[in-house]
Amino acid sequence: MELVECRNLCKNFENNQILKNINLTIPRGKIIGLLGKNGTGKTTLIKLINDLLTPTSGEVLINGKKPGIVSKKVIAYLPERTYLDKNMTVKQAINYFEEFYDNFDKQKAIELLKDLNLETDKKIAKMSKGMQEKLQLILVMSRQAQLYILDEPLGGVDPATRDYILDTILSNFSEGASVMISTHLIADIERILDEVIFIDQGEIVLTSSADELRNKEKASIDEIFRRNFKC
Amino acid sequence: MDYVFDNERPIYVQLVEKLRIQIVSGKLKQAQRLPSVRELALTARVNPNTMQKALAELEMQGLIYTERTNGKYVTQDTKLIEKVKKELAKEKVKNYLNDMDSIGISYEDAILYLQELGGKGKWN
Amino acid sequence: MLRKLLKYDLKWIYKELIVFYLLALTFSAIGRSLGLIQNSIVFSIASGVTIGIAVGMLLGSLVNCMLRLWSRFLKSLYKDEAYLTHTLPVEKKTVYTSKVITAIITLFTTVIVILACLAICFYSQANMQMLKESLEIVETTYNIDMIAVLFLMAIIILTELVFIVLLGYVGIIIGHRANKHKILYSVITGYVGYMITQIASLLVVFLFGILNPQVMNLISTTQMLDVDIIKYMLLGATGLYIVYNIIFYIIGKKQLEKGVNVE
Repeated sequence: MELVECRNLCKNFENNQILKNINLTIPRGKIIGLLGKNGTGKTTLIKLINDLLTPTSGEVLINGKKPGIVSKKVIAYLPERTYLDKNMTVKQAINYFEEFYDNFDKQKAIELLKDLNLETDKKIAKMSKGMQEKLQLILVMSRQAQLYILDEPLGGVDPATRDYILDTILSNFSEGASVMISTHLIADIERILDEVIFIDQGEIVLTSSADELRNKEKASIDEIFRRNFKC
Repeated sequence: MDYVFDNERPIYVQLVEKLRIQIVSGKLKQAQRLPSVRELALTARVNPNTMQKALAELEMQGLIYTERTNGKYVTQDTKLIEKVKKELAKEKVKNYLNDMDSIGISYEDAILYLQELGGKGKWN
Repeated sequence: MLRKLLKYDLKWIYKELIVFYLLALTFSAIGRSLGLIQNSIVFSIASGVTIGIAVGMLLGSLVNCMLRLWSRFLKSLYKDEAYLTHTLPVEKKTVYTSKVITAIITLFTTVIVILACLAICFYSQANMQMLKESLEIVETTYNIDMIAVLFLMAIIILTELVFIVLLGYVGIIIGHRANKHKILYSVITGYVGYMITQIASLLVVFLFGILNPQVMNLISTTQMLDVDIIKYMLLGATGLYIVYNIIFYIIGKKQLEKGVNVE
């Protein structure tokens, strides 16, 4: 059974078709890049998988089932925004995750936070935006999930932070799990991708293994992407 | 070793090249046990799947071997290592001569350049 | 999971509410103490002012409680925090049930604190005697247990408060189906829900009136009511609000289970 399968998935807002008849499978054990310009439906697709949106038609299946408790146990999701209660302290946020997710590795989270020299008694609201993002990344990556979905994890970060984020992802995702990273900054992450999905104007325009694509086009994924989707 | 990659070629191919150099140069010693795929992937900052693929390729070339439960080791086949080293050397020389040719320096002059500069021990 | 959600919901509401409770209780106590100092106009004025502030705090705690309940609901189901709420391995209906139970508990304690403060401010032998006597008059003329009536009224007030909060919840859920002006639609939906239940209540009284002419007299004349009818009406009103609460709880649950669209 596929990890994630989208069948004829459509999502409209008013009369705008944001996603048009998406048919897509996300394999196990791969790092997948969901690549597209801003506003092409990447986040909408991710939100549909995470039960934050309801499909207009078609369906999303995770391990063969519609999004629900079972799927939420195996998907670790990092949205673009801060989704923690900002009045909580770091420690409280860790406890919150521990209480709700059976597969949350508290020890790992604490270790990772130590590397950041983050005081655990500090309120999230008092932390910098970058720190909040790192905290969220650590919480998400400390779960032993089957699928990690990271929405624009590199948006607007400096090169040092970018390395930190990529390292944290690579060194912490569970063995055999898949990681789906959505981004428009392809050059930064393409070397870690197994598979690429190009999305444009609400449609999947290409899915391929990253290496096959490079071999075929004799160019980097970034280059191929730019060629295909000129602004 | 440096882990700068060229995004235009498959990453695993580049990993194979880099690891091969480490083996023939002796940085990775014969019979040395390699770190786990995950660790290797992490130091190279690549996807573990990609590292796995690179190691499989090296294994096919005989430069490393797997001991069923203990992990992967660098080969002890000195002949093979020498052979690969020779191939790499040939390739480098060929590249050098081609480059010299492209700026209009003949084979003979290229050798002279080598003797002259190489004689000093270090490039400067 | 319900227990865990409840813990966090209650904590969030009480974090501010408790301040109002403490302020109301403190001002009540100060006001009362000042009032105990005899023969001083200054102190009795100060007492009056402080008690006024205490009453203000009581109103504040009630308003704060309801607003915080709605705010929490909106934030955790439709704003940034919704990204976490809806991705927890918890059913949507459990999230909703936790919010409803939180409303019942916090409103209950608020009503209790209000009663406690009123008791601190105004309790005295003389006042109690007066209350007792006036109750006794009612009790003898109507042949009714006034304590039971007061108790019933407290329950009606509580169920009505819970109902108003529930209307807000359902309003928010349905209002957030819309693509824009979500808050406006939420308010309108809540208000329409309120109108419908008021009309329904009138219909129930009317139907009851067809069966029982005495109730019809209530509408058509100013005749004194029979004691039994008052009892029935109180019980009926309590029952009716409980039924409304259940209906709106179910509507909210069903609507939420259809899925959400978080911006």
